[in-house]
Amino acid sequence: MATQVVSVARPQPMQQSLGRTALAILIGLRVTGGHFLRNLWGFIRRKPTVFTVQFPEQRLDLPDAFRGMPVLVQMDNGKERCVACGLCEWACPTDCITIFPAETADEVERYPAVFDLNLSRCMFCGLCEEACPEEAIVMSQRVEVGGYSRRAMVWHKEDLLVPVSQLGKRLQHIRRSYDR
Amino acid sequence: MATLTIDGRTIEAADNAMLLPVALENGIHIPHYCWHPKLSIDGSCRMCQVEVEGSPKLMISCNTPVRDGMVVRTTTPAVQKARRAVMELLLINHPLDCPICDQAGECLLQDYAFSFGSREGRSREPRRKLQKRKDVGPRVVLDQERCILCRRCVRFCREITKTNELGVFGMGDRSALDTLEGTPLANDYSICTADICPVGALLSKDFHHQLRVWFLKKTPSVCPNCANGCNITVNHYRDRVWRLLPRRNDAVNDTWMCDHGRLNYQFVNSTERLHQPLLRQDGQLAACEWEAAISAVASRLRRSAHATQGRGIGAVASPHLTNEELFRFRQVLTVLGVQSIDVAVRTGLSDHLLIKAEKAANARGARELGLSPGPQGSGLPGLLEAAASGQITALYVCGADLWETADRALLTKALEKVECLIVQDVFRSPLAERAHIVLPSATFAEKNGTFTNHGGRVQRINQAFELPAGQLSDGEIFSRLLRFLSEGLWTFRPEAVFEEIAAAVPGYAGMNYASIGQGWQALAPASAGVAG
Repeated sequence: MATQVVSVARPQPMQQSLGRTALAILIGLRVTGGHFLRNLWGFIRRKPTVFTVQFPEQRLDLPDAFRGMPVLVQMDNGKERCVACGLCEWACPTDCITIFPAETADEVERYPAVFDLNLSRCMFCGLCEEACPEEAIVMSQRVEVGGYSRRAMVWHKEDLLVPVSQLGKRLQHIRRSYDR
Repeated sequence: MATLTIDGRTIEAADNAMLLPVALENGIHIPHYCWHPKLSIDGSCRMCQVEVEGSPKLMISCNTPVRDGMVVRTTTPAVQKARRAVMELLLINHPLDCPICDQAGECLLQDYAFSFGSREGRSREPRRKLQKRKDVGPRVVLDQERCILCRRCVRFCREITKTNELGVFGMGDRSALDTLEGTPLANDYSICTADICPVGALLSKDFHHQLRVWFLKKTPSVCPNCANGCNITVNHYRDRVWRLLPRRNDAVNDTWMCDHGRLNYQFVNSTERLHQPLLRQDGQLAACEWEAAISAVASRLRRSAHATQGRGIGAVASPHLTNEELFRFRQVLTVLGVQSIDVAVRTGLSDHLLIKAEKAANARGARELGLSPGPQGSGLPGLLEAAASGQITALYVCGADLWETADRALLTKALEKVECLIVQDVFRSPLAERAHIVLPSATFAEKNGTFTNHGGRVQRINQAFELPAGQLSDGEIFSRLLRFLSEGLWTFRPEAVFEEIAAAVPGYAGMNYASIGQGWQALAPASAGVAG
């Protein structure tokens, strides 16, 4: 096969010039400024015109199926509903739950003397909630779980208790979804 | 011999055998609650019903003798229907306690409900109310609601311990398990009733609400608490022993073990255990490195041995050490030429069933391996007197039994006189407080080896978990000591050391770990004969 030489036009790199740079800045400013003015207009009329939530002052109304950190259901008498059966500890794929059971004189004779949740390991999967036979651990809408030390990331039973009155929607949701 | 067919398989069985054990031995599982291999037949649970060709109704296999030419089916629709009905009746009054019940996870009611029961309960009536958490004895708690009235525990107390504490009272659906008036369930084997309880009605107080059973890891071993050497399963989790359960060995302990042996495991988990060797400096015991401690032991013993041809050294072996460790200890003493040797064994009460007077697992092994005085030796009293009179200047003591068994006045006098006291123990015992060098010892849960029980049965123990970091097993300590004291590369691998024992000690000839397995092997009759 005979060889052949083909000349190809190579595109020249764009010439930088002050005019072009200024134009690019102005185009960008138009986009930013447009958003600013539209937000300002919405702010003045007190009717937001774009979907921006002023977290943490504003919060979204999350759906019931949302899974934040797990919390323990606190009954009306102030005690936890948990009986320390250990099924969540067993179901947990990241081993973030530690339970030490103990005995009480109450009708349900067993309770968790220690219930620790290591939130630096928890991945909000919800398997603990699914495993729980007592509806005692449920996923909440809380996601602010930061801490300044590893020790602070371990939440104890007292930190995890949430009154049952605040968890009604989630409890209804899990009854629906797990066919209870 | 009878030849019968179970589920299409032809099986040979002894003439008077019952169907259920024959099926179980041949790997055909028939569900059952009330039948137990070591108890009489009750036939009350009706769970083991099977179809026998030629009989109009289903038969309970636990109480049906085998016949020649018998044809048995265990999985027909009729059998399955019967099992489902039995499960339904048992579950009518059974409380939904599984989340708080210690038996959950090893509960036959759970297992069979899952395998043979129906998913839905049809009963709408309230469950019957009986006493929960009834304190029936010092070591056992009873939940009457959970009981399925199989009467295994009643038969155990009647036939094995012959103490008759338990009975089923009331009739029909008002029947309930209880203790007889004025007789708490306090016999020495009471926790065995919790073992054989197929549900969570009888539970051991020691393990009550401690840990879910599915977290436990199980290691076959031998009980370290008396000379009987009951076979056990060490239940452990996170490097802690949580409970000891008996393991079936028909020659030694059937399926039982005593409460004392079962509950005496806390020393393994104790936070007060020694983890570092201690060396006396300026009158105070201070922690030191292993190398320093072992070289100190070696140099002191060698100095004493050189001066007196070994007569200035006394040695007290621990009956808690394994055969392998004792063999190495014996080698240490041989190298040093030590003559005054004995083993200190704590003794206590014994009974006709399992409990033996010698409260250590391997006293027999220590004697077989030559750690007791010969016929002309004077034993512990002589050893202590020699120490008190200054003839023995260095004393190497393993274990704390010496402190508890020896004549206290003589022992105190001897310890005051002795120039070098080496103590190897699990705890900082009163004896260790008087020592010049203390070496931390390991417990039965942390090592492999063999124990020789009172009847000369050699049985293996298995390591459940590792020793705490930086600690050495007793065998390793003796081997390192031998490296200081003699030529040769002494190592400690229990299996290899046992082969050395088999080659050196006539009683153990021909044995090895494979031949012992997880069962037992008897000492050769040349030694002292096997009995019991």
